[in-house]
Amino acid sequence: MKKLILALSSLALIATAVTAEEAKTPATEAAAPAAAATPTEVKMKIKAKEKNGVVKAKVAISHNMLTYDQAKKKGKEANFITHITGTVGDKVVYDASTSQFLSKNPLIKFQFDGKKGDELKITYTQLKGEVFFATKKIK
Amino acid sequence: MKKSILGLVAVAAMTVSVSATDYRAEKPAAWTAKTVPAAIEALYGKITPVEGDIKLKAPKVASNGGAIPVSVKTDIPAKSIAIFQDVNPESAVAVFEVPEGTQANFSLKIKMKKSGSITAVVEGKDGKFYETKLSLEVALGGCEG
Repeated sequence: MKKLILALSSLALIATAVTAEEAKTPATEAAAPAAAATPTEVKMKIKAKEKNGVVKAKVAISHNMLTYDQAKKKGKEANFITHITGTVGDKVVYDASTSQFLSKNPLIKFQFDGKKGDELKITYTQLKGEVFFATKKIK
Repeated sequence: MKKSILGLVAVAAMTVSVSATDYRAEKPAAWTAKTVPAAIEALYGKITPVEGDIKLKAPKVASNGGAIPVSVKTDIPAKSIAIFQDVNPESAVAVFEVPEGTQANFSLKIKMKKSGSITAVVEGKDGKFYETKLSLEVALGGCEG
């Protein structure tokens, strides 16, 4: 048991060392999430409509998308979406790695082969690794 | 109890690896590059993109630099599409992967500090790279630096 705690604490030490190094170079955006975060369900505006086997999807996410510079001015921490994924069942239908230069409350549109009644799930990850999702039936 | 937590973590890790490429984790340098060519090189390596049939759309004059609608569409069988601009502190805006069954047709809204240009690079399934550029005027900068 003690050994386990020791191992854990040494791991934590390594982790803090890494974050400290990252803090030195604020330009490093690739802050990997320390642990796999549990997705939280949030409200998103999703429109998904099928026509002739093609689903047109429109997604609006409520998010500040604070860039590093904006955050500095406001005395807040930068926070923006780093990854957006759209899935139907197990299939990935949309996948974007994004930066701080998406607009505030980003709006995305995309099209994929699909059918009515399926459920489209949009998942996004923000800078510190928190994951959020929302689902919508395809009309 | 501990085992179940471990199991959960493992499952979560697996689902992450199943989903498509995370260009942030794989190519961190691409997101901090300050010029478009540097960002392209960091993302795709040393490439010489050719002019391709890519439809990159944005308003000629954007009244609000905080939300400029940009769309990119191509008939080239694409593996991934990347969007860059040349006025913000860093160049990369977004990298889309094009999964099987999804059309290479994406729209999004972006921020730009001032007038400049947007570059779209398409990584074709044939291993070639295609590029197109579009300049636009921004009336009111939306990035505040």
